This record gives sequence, C-alpha cells and structure tokens, in this order.
Amino acid sequence: MIAQDLQVILPEIALAVYAIVALLAGVYTGKDKSAAMIVWITAAVMAVIGLWIATGSGTNAAFGGSFVDDSFARFCKVIILFSGAVVLVMTQDYMARRGILRFEYPVLVALATVGMMFMVSAEDLLVLYMGLELQSLSLYVVTSLRRDSVKSTEAGLKYFILGALSSGMLLYGASLTYGYTGTILFSGIIEAAGDDVSIGLLFGLVFLIAGFAFKVSAAPFHMWTPDVYEGAPTPVTAFLSTAPKMAALALMARVLHEGFGGVISDWQQILAFLSVLSMFVGAIAAIGQTNIKRLMAYSSISHMGFALMGLAAGTTFGVEAMLIYMVIYITMNVGMFAFILSMEKDGVPVTDIGALHMYSKHEPLRALALLVLLFSLAGVAAPMLGFFGKFYVLRAAVEAGMTWLAVAGVIAAVIGAFYYIRIVYYMYFGQDREPLDAGGGPILWVVLMGSALIMIVGVINMFGMEPVAAAAAAALVN
Amino acid sequence: MPLILIALLPFLGAVLPALMIRAGRTASAWSAGAVTLAALTGILAHAPAVLRGEIIFYQLDWVPILGLNANFMLDGLGLLFSLLILGIGLLIIIYARFYLDRDDPMGQFYCYLLLFQGAMLGIVLSDNILLLIVFWELTSLSSFLLIGYWKHLPEGRQGARMALTVTGMGGLALIGGMLLLGDIAGSHDLSVILQSRDVIQASPLYVPALILILIGVFTKSAQFPFHFWLPQAMAAPTPVSAYLHSATMVKAGLFLMARLWPVLSGTPEWFYIVATTGLITMLTGAIGALFKNDLKALLAYSTVSQLGLITMLLGFGTKMAAVVAVFHILNHATFKAALFLTAGIIDHEAGTRDIRRLGGLRHLMPLTFLIGTLAAFSMAGVPFLNGFLSKEMMLEEAAHTVWAGSHLFIPVLVTLGSLVSAAYSFRFIAHVFLGPRRSDYPHRPHDPGFGLWAAPALLVALVVLIGVLPALIAGPLVAITSSAVTGGDLPYFSLRIWHGVTPALGMSLIALVGGAVLLAAFVPLDRLRASLPQDTAKAIFDGLIAVAVRLARGLTAGLHNGVMSRYALAFALTVLTAAIFAWATGAAGPATRALTPVPPLPLIGWVLLVAATVTIVLTHHNRLLALILIGIAGLIVSVTFVYFSAPDLALTQATVEVVTIILLLLALNFLPRGSPREGSTARHVRDALIAIAVGAGAAALTFVVQTTDFAFDPISAYHLANSKTGGGGYNVVNVILVDFRGFDTYGEIIVLGIAALVIHALAESLLESPVGARLARRAPDKGESGDPHPLLMVVATRVIMPIALLVGVFIFLRGHNAPGGGFIAGLIVAIALLMQYMASGYDWAVSRQRFPYHGLIAIGILTATLTGVASWIAGYPFLTSSYGYFTIAPLETFELATAMGFDLGVFLCVLGAVMLALDTISRLAHRAGERPSPYAMDVDPSRPQSAQRV
Repeated sequence: MIAQDLQVILPEIALAVYAIVALLAGVYTGKDKSAAMIVWITAAVMAVIGLWIATGSGTNAAFGGSFVDDSFARFCKVIILFSGAVVLVMTQDYMARRGILRFEYPVLVALATVGMMFMVSAEDLLVLYMGLELQSLSLYVVTSLRRDSVKSTEAGLKYFILGALSSGMLLYGASLTYGYTGTILFSGIIEAAGDDVSIGLLFGLVFLIAGFAFKVSAAPFHMWTPDVYEGAPTPVTAFLSTAPKMAALALMARVLHEGFGGVISDWQQILAFLSVLSMFVGAIAAIGQTNIKRLMAYSSISHMGFALMGLAAGTTFGVEAMLIYMVIYITMNVGMFAFILSMEKDGVPVTDIGALHMYSKHEPLRALALLVLLFSLAGVAAPMLGFFGKFYVLRAAVEAGMTWLAVAGVIAAVIGAFYYIRIVYYMYFGQDREPLDAGGGPILWVVLMGSALIMIVGVINMFGMEPVAAAAAAALVN
Repeated sequence: MPLILIALLPFLGAVLPALMIRAGRTASAWSAGAVTLAALTGILAHAPAVLRGEIIFYQLDWVPILGLNANFMLDGLGLLFSLLILGIGLLIIIYARFYLDRDDPMGQFYCYLLLFQGAMLGIVLSDNILLLIVFWELTSLSSFLLIGYWKHLPEGRQGARMALTVTGMGGLALIGGMLLLGDIAGSHDLSVILQSRDVIQASPLYVPALILILIGVFTKSAQFPFHFWLPQAMAAPTPVSAYLHSATMVKAGLFLMARLWPVLSGTPEWFYIVATTGLITMLTGAIGALFKNDLKALLAYSTVSQLGLITMLLGFGTKMAAVVAVFHILNHATFKAALFLTAGIIDHEAGTRDIRRLGGLRHLMPLTFLIGTLAAFSMAGVPFLNGFLSKEMMLEEAAHTVWAGSHLFIPVLVTLGSLVSAAYSFRFIAHVFLGPRRSDYPHRPHDPGFGLWAAPALLVALVVLIGVLPALIAGPLVAITSSAVTGGDLPYFSLRIWHGVTPALGMSLIALVGGAVLLAAFVPLDRLRASLPQDTAKAIFDGLIAVAVRLARGLTAGLHNGVMSRYALAFALTVLTAAIFAWATGAAGPATRALTPVPPLPLIGWVLLVAATVTIVLTHHNRLLALILIGIAGLIVSVTFVYFSAPDLALTQATVEVVTIILLLLALNFLPRGSPREGSTARHVRDALIAIAVGAGAAALTFVVQTTDFAFDPISAYHLANSKTGGGGYNVVNVILVDFRGFDTYGEIIVLGIAALVIHALAESLLESPVGARLARRAPDKGESGDPHPLLMVVATRVIMPIALLVGVFIFLRGHNAPGGGFIAGLIVAIALLMQYMASGYDWAVSRQRFPYHGLIAIGILTATLTGVASWIAGYPFLTSSYGYFTIAPLETFELATAMGFDLGVFLCVLGAVMLALDTISRLAHRAGERPSPYAMDVDPSRPQSAQRV
C-alpha cells in the first residue's frame, strides 16, 4: 500500500532527497565555491526527472486519493522542471559574476520545484497548501538572496508579508470549504457541492480563488509583482516569471475543475473579472515603464489575464488553451530573460529600456531575435507562436459564450502591444546611443536564439504539443 | 504546382536573396526575381482552368481544433490578385535593383520584400479565414520592416510605427470579426461561409461581425477615419511605396471586402457603412492629394481617394457595381504603380520629390514625361486610357444610387470627387513636367537607364492597351473575377469606350473640365488651405497616444508606488468586494442552531477582549503597553477555552502566552520605546473604516457558520469513542496529539526545533555583521535600572523553582488521562527556568547550566523517533502506541503508555526550543552592553559592603 503510494510520488521524493543532499554537500564542502557545480547538477537532475515523468502514463492515485499522477500533472511537471532547469543553467554565470551565486540558490530552486510538483498533483486542499507553501517559502528566500541590497531584501519582505496574507486567505477558504463539505478531497468536494453551492461554500470558493489569484499575480492581487520583479536579482525574476506561474495556474485549474466543476457558473464570473482586470492593468500600467524588469512584471500580469481567460471558459478546451498559452508564454519569457540577463554596459547590469536605442545597428541578430520575441509576446501584428496562444484562449472564451471577454482581451492585447512594439521601435529606429556590451556568454545566446526560433518554427505544428495538451486537459475535466 | 507550394514559395525563397547578396547585387535581384517568377508560373499554370470557371483547392489540416486549416483556393478573384501581386512584384524587383543605392543592404530588402509577397499571396489564396488572418498579420510585420527600411529618416520611423499601430489594431478587430463569422457559419472555410449568406445575415451577431471586419478592412485599406497612416508611411523607399501602398497591401482590405461580398453585402448596414465611408474617403483623399507638395504624398492621398472609390462601389451592393469595382482595382493597380515608379525616377534623377522645386522636366526627361503623363491621364479619367473606362462605369452606377432617399447626394459628391481627382492628376503633370525649365534642380535631371523605366513603361503599355481594347485584354479576367465576387451569375456588361450619351458621360466631362479649372485656381486655393489647420488626423493620433501614456503613468504611479499599505488596501477591498458578491449571490440558508443565551461573565470577557484589541490598535505606538494588552487578550482567550470546557487548550494557551510575553519583553529591550506616527488623521479614519468593514464581514461570516450545521458530523465523535480503547487515554486531546495524530506532532516538534536553531543561527550571523557593531554602539532609551536583580525576586524564584518543576512533572505524567501533557509540561519547566534568568541575570544562570540547549532539542527529537521506531520492532507501523498498567508498591496502580515516551520527546524539544530562544536574546543583550554579574543578586546583605553592586 504505502510502497505503491511512494512509487507514485517517487519523482518528488527523488528531487526532495536530492535537494537535501545538495544542501548538506554545500554546507560540508566548499559552500559557495561549489555553488556553480550544484547549479549544473541540479539542472541536470531536474531535466532527468522531467524526462522520467514524461515517460509516465495512466492515472495513478496515491495516499487515499490525496495525490494524483495523471497526464495533466505530468504535462505541467515536465514544463516546470524543464523551464526551471533552463533558468538555472542560464543564470549561473550572471550570479557568479555578481558574487551572489550562493549554494542555497539551486537548492532553494529545487525545493520550490518540489513544491510546485506537489501543487499540480494535489488532490486535496492540504496537499495543495503544503505544496504551495513549500514553493512560496523557497521563493521568498531566493527573492532576497542579495542580502546586501536594500531593494532585494525589501522585495523579499513585501513578497513574504503579502504572500502570508494570501496564504491566510487561502486557508480560510479551505477551512470554510471543509466545514461545508466535510472533506478536503477534491473528489469529495465536488460530490458534496452538487450543482448548487451553499453560501458558506461559496465564501470558501471566493477566498480560495483570492489566494490563488495572488500566486498567479492576477489583478487586483498583483501589487507585489512589479516591486518583487524589480527588486529580486534578475535570475530570480526569470524563475519567478516562469515555472511558478505554470504551477499556480495548473493548481487553480485542478481545484476549480475537480473540486468545483459542478458549479462552474459560480467561479466563472470571478475568473472572468480577474482576467479582464489583469489584462488591462498589465497592459495599461506597462506603458509608462522604463525599467525592463518592471515592464516584464506588468507583462506577466497581463499574460496571466489571458491564461485566466482560458480557465474562465470553464471547458476542456479552455484548460487546453490555458496550458498551451502557458507553455508558449514560458518559452518566450525564458528567451526574454536570457536577453535581459545579457544587458550590461561596462560590466554593470542595465535595466533601462532606453539603453536599447539603435540596438539593431550594433547587434543585428540579437535584435532580430528580440523582435521576434517581442512580437510574439504582443501576440498581434505577426503570427508568431504567441499569436497562437492568444488565439487559443480567445477561441475558448468565444466557444464558451463569453464573447465580451474575448473582445475585452483583444482590446487589451492592442494596448499591450504598444509597449512591446515600442522596444522594437527603439531598437530599430531610436536615436544613436552608446551601445551595450556585447557580452552575455554563449548559453544566454543559445537560449535567446532558441526561444526566438521556437516562436517561428513552432508555428508549423507547435512541436506536436496540441494533442498532448488536449489529453492533459481531458484528464482534468471529465 | 499545388497551391500551398505557391503560397509558401516566397517564404522559402526569402533566404535566397539574403544569401546571394554575397555574390553581388544583381545575383540577389535575380534570385528574388526567380522566386517570384516561379510562383507566377505556378499561378499561370492554373489560369486556364480558372478562366474556364473552375476553382482549384488544396486542403491540409493544420490546427483542426481551432478550425485553422491550411486550405487554399484559387478562383477568379484570387487569380486577379495573385497576378497583380506577383506581376507587379516582379517589376518592382527589377526596378529596385537599379533604384537602391550601393550602400543600401539590398539582400535584406529583397528578403523582406519576398516575405511580404508571400504574406500577400497567402491572403488571396486562403480558403480558410483563420489562415487568411495569419497571413494578414504577417503583412503587417513584413510591411513594418519594409517601411522602416530606411532607418536614417525620422519620418520613416514615425510612419512605420503608426502604420503598424493602426493596421495591427485593425488586424485584431478583424480576428474578432472572423471568429464571429466562423461561429455563425459553423465553419472557418471560406467555401462554406460563402454559401451561408442567409444564416449569416439573419444572425444577431451579423452586425458586430460586420463592424469588426470592416474596422480591419478599413485600417488596412486606409479608409476614413483610418486613412492618415498611409501618407505617413511614404518615407519608405519608392519601390516599397509602389508595391505596398498602391498595388498590394492596401488592396488587401478591398480584396477581403470583395471576398466576403456575397455573404456580407446587400443589407442596409453594409450599404450605409461601406458606401458612405468610401465616399468620404474618396473626397478627403482627393482634396488632400491636391495640396500635397511631396510627389509621393500626392500619390498617397490619391491612392486613399481611389481606394475610397472602390470601397464605395463595393458598398453599393449591386452586382454591376461589383464588376466595376473589380475592373477599377485592376486599372488602378496599373496606373498607380506606374505613377509611383515615375515619382521614384524623378526623385532618383532630379534629387527631390518636392513639386515646388520641380517643373519643366519634359525637356530633360521626355521618356519619363510620356510615361507619367499617360498614367496621370488615366487617373484623371481621360478617354482611351483604362482609368476612363472604369470611372465612366462607376459614374454610371453612382448616378442610379439612392442614398437615404436622396437621388442627388451620391452623384453630386462622386462627380465632385472625380473633379478633384482630375485636378490633382493634372497637377502632377503640369507642375512637374510642364512649365519653364529651371536652373536649380538638386541633380541634373535626365532620363534613367532602361532598368528603371522598363517597369513603368510596361505598366503604361497595359494602361493604354486596356484603354483601347478593354474587352479583349481585360474582359475574360474581369468577367471571371466578377463572377467570383458576386458568387456566380453576372449581369450583362460590356467593356467598351463608347456607351452612348449617358449621364455618366456628362459627369465625366464636368469632372475633366472642372478639374482643369480647379488647377488653374490652384494658387489662391492653396493659400486658403494653408490658413486652415493641417494634418489633424495625425495630430489626433499623436495626441491620443500621449494621453494614453500620461494616463498609464498616472495610474501606475497611483497604484504601484511601492507602499505596502496601499497594496494591503487593494487586497482588503477586493476580498471585501468578493465577499459581498458571494453574499449577494449565494443563499445563506436558515439558521439551524438556536442562539445560546449570553450570561454576564462571558460578556465581561468579551468586552475585555474587544477593549484590549481596540486599545492595542490605538496605542500601539507605546510598545510596552501594546505588549501588556496582547497579554490580556491572550489570557481572555485562555479563559474562554476554560469556559468552553477545553482545559488542555486553556493550559497550553496560558503557558504559551507567558513564554511569548516574557521573550517579547526581552526582545523589546532592543527596540525604541515607541514607534513613529505616520499618515494623516484622514487616512487613519479611512483605514479604520475599511478595517471595520472587513472585520464586520468576518464576524458576519462567523455568525453564519456558527448558527448553521455543517454538511457532515464533526470528527470529534470518533475520537471520543476511540480515545480510550485505541490510545489508552481519557484525555482525548492528548491522545490525539501523541497517538491519532502522532505523526503530525512529530513533524511539529521538528519544525519547532528547527525554528529555534534558525533563530540562533540568524542571531549568530547578525552579531558578526555590521548589525553587531551597531548593537555594541547602541545607547538605550533609558539607562539600566539601579537594581536589576532584586533580592526579593531572587528569593521568590528560588523557592518557586522546585515547586514549578514538580508541577511540570505532574502535568506531564497526568497528561494521558487528564489535562496536561508533554507540551504544556515543557512550557511550565521553561517558565521556571526563565524566571531564574530574569531574577539573577543571564551570565549567572548560564554558568550553572550543564547541557547545551541544542542538545535538549536533539534528544527530544531522538526520543520521539525511537519511540516511533520501537513499534516497528514489535511489528507495528511507525508510532503505534501500546499501554499497560503497572503496580509498584507503595504507589497505586498506574498506567504507562509508549506514547509517554513520545510525549517526553515533545517535552524536551519544547523546553530546548524556548531556552535556546532565550539564550539567543541574551547574547544580543550581552553585545548591547549588559554588564555581567558574578552574583545572584545585586544587593546581598551577606556580602561585605564593598561587594554590593548598585
């Protein structure tokens, strides 16, 4: 019995054990001197576990149905693990050169990843919470990794306090849900909820969603995002904007569909509200930004709005659209951050967008790759992969009869396109300024180019992702 | 050649010129030309079949779930447009080879051009509206690259950005419209949609879909009020302008209108939106063109005007008008491309495009003069040229069209538009070529080489040929295209020069004569126009963007200023709103539990609790006071537990309260006495109101929860029934802790231990950091008390100590059956020890302590672990407990459970954790300058006077 259960969560155990071993190894060997090696090994371990999970099949429940390994979970885990691994590898050099490459960094990232793996597999409210907290706590710490920087520590503190607030909200919701359904299992909740929820359960649902909304940084729970993105060391920002978003959205999808799938109309409106607000706040607020990290924060808020649109549809196709959207978004973001990490002048990191004036003249190839990524992020005016992502969620909304949501999404996308294209404009038509350093290293170059290439080549058949995402969504929504 | 290959050929071939540029500019041009020629051959191979009335299909699934398939279709309309795109494309490639400078990156140029060509070809060959959108969006991107090709010109940048913004926005509207259209028709394949006219026009979504699609189309085809981007985009190289802004891209909108004509047209909405927009565009464009001094701007506005004309024709919704529209598309493409290329030649050879600096060129550039004049005459509608034919037919159609009951509205305005068109066409000839020869041309103008004039000459040849022999040259193509547009049967039409004396002929004459007259009066008119505001559309566009940026900045500054309280405010308000939403939409259900009476005693407790809490909020600036008040709140809570018959909880709460207050008191020592006051009174009031609202919400929710039953019986019954039989204890709480939920407790004590160690480790690294130095320099708010270790307290604590320890042991032992247990016992013992530290000081106490507290924690956890492991040896799962009864004389029979071993672990761990925390704080105090004392008390009468420490 327990052996079977353990068999199901073996990948999680493996990564957790690895993290502990790495921690001990770091403490008892060279401390930060061994950090670079630990980063590489961690990335390798995460990638191997990702491959291992990818070979899995079927739906395996464990621990009395508290944990499940289905194709939805596997899909998300593979994305989480691989994006985490790529981010680790591409940020190692940056951290080392800034002197903030501590051996805790890869270990904490690995632990956060374990938390995320639990999040996407959680089948009851407590496993969910445990996964979420493991992830969040690890992230709070990495955010303030640069201990001697006021900004970084302030970001970490803000993130922690607001995060604790949202966790409290989530727990409140969870206990109300438990109180009114008598179970914490999603399968039990959906049974108890039936197709008409009591007010207590509705409160539970509302508070749960509020908690989740914070984690995905959906407006109006997004306030922490710009400050944390800006304050955290850039590598951490890169990580924050990729895997955790996927995990939080997957978690949300699972709770809402498996736990509250019978009362879709009750949460649909809340999600639609969050979606519209996020899309617009993200798009409008980004216009005035000059710091590219802050800009990416608003961009992520806006993108989360689009991903939520897929969820708000409340259909299998909606979930599929959300998954596809997220994969594309993460790929773009990894590429963007590969570029941001390489932005420096005289060896000092630069985050001002103004530094990109006439970038195409000095670095034509990089500028072209960035152009592709930016157009893809905008998702309009050019059919890169990002366009398809938007297309999927818009379509999901329209099919679910939420045409108004799709229309709002289109308007927000137009507004949002403004600031992406402004960067392109600077790069190609700006005034002549002193160029940025040509640095960045080969890894960043490869990631940037790879990501841009995926945006173009992926248009052919999205690398066969569609049926996989469809199967994953089907596993979730019955 | 399959259609998909034809459509993809330019994309695949786009790399060629970029590579071949290494072999020279000519090779690059050749490769681009070869690719275009190959695609053109592919289309021509299908032409005979299409002209016979067949439709060629090619189908391939792409993303079926989205309804996006790579389905291509070639019918008459597609044929006309692909011939235009590829044919003129070929001419442009040749022309550009000679037009571009040596320093211009030509490979890049051809690469972009082919990309653009592919996107355009894709649009006209798509059978799937989603596929069409994909190509549509691609044209926006590739045109952006082409327009911005000359990066050094500031107008180039501006124009590129504006073009992209406007057309990109329109593209999105188009997506929305197309999705709606696909939803109505139930398919995204054009061949299906085109058969669903009745369904679509009957749908309530018809109007939204129509409007969205038209926004997309109007932005692309530069129709009013989106027409302003086209003239702005004219900073692009001339071949680009000729290709994008006359022959192809701007026609994409017209193409789509023609493509969807069978299903969308014929309704009043269509007529009034499309025809009126077209008419307005025709007039504004024509007037704009007349006064432009930049040759290309003149042509750009004239393009806007001509596109408006075609839009208007399509808007009429009659089949005859559609035929005329198709014919004029063909004609306009030929003469306008020729005009642009002519303008390019003039710019290239004379060095300027400014009409005011030109004139008299007919002597210097006779060939260019001939080409330009023929093309301009065609635009003006002079007989024997193709422009005359289609304009004549257009006027004929307009003459019969009724607009809102008025028979004159359209004919008069159309005639006016044609008149102005004639005027600017004549101006192109008169002010550039005629007039006296000047001496101040920037370059020495002369006719260009063959490479440059070949393309416009060929186009003008077509202009003349169609003009003279319309039925022979253009007849079949127009017929087949028109039948594709109208969806089958065509009205009778004949393409000939002489239709007899018709109203149209009269209107045509008025236009030509009036145009000449207007040009004669150009100078005073120009002065008049100069006094009017100019470029309003562009100003509005720039203004809108500036306002948007300012709004966005303001919003961001207001919302995300980095202040935590503002974030918390948003958080609280949203949750409150969500809760109100939940309350309003959900059904609360009737209360199933009666309210209990409120006796006076609990009421007093409640008042105390509320008073303490409110006072904390009000007086939190005084930290000591706040701490005392927190203590009161905590104590009331423990009393509440007693009241509700939960002695275990009460005991735990009381002890925890004491420990935390003492530790906090010690920590408070390092902080200033008060915290600063921030914010205005108004803000405090606002915050208070919000806090009260949120608190009231939580209270209301609690009330509802308390007065209704849960869906299921609580789990407590199970524990009550099984506590004695399963865990061997009467105290259910303790049995839960050490038995039912033993594993949880096990985890918790480990966390507790870790927390204590982390506090220790943090303080350790703190002392080594600059903070340690600051601590050493710190001057406390108030000096140390004269007698910090008073005699009375020392004596009292010494006396209490053994009693306290005994109480601890007692509580520990009775825990299994009566209130108590390891956790509480640990806290009580910790309090007993804490008191010694308080009485005699840290140094004195620590020198009498034998075990390191880390060790206590470790032993505690190990004990708990061993107890758990022991059950493995007996063959049970981890932490299974067993118990038995023992009699040791002279004691009475007592019970021992293995769970007590576990409880011992809890006890040790709690004790260790608390003491380690104390230890940490003391170390900080030490660094902060606390004086160590070798004595237990400061004033000890048994010591000599000199050893007193005051």
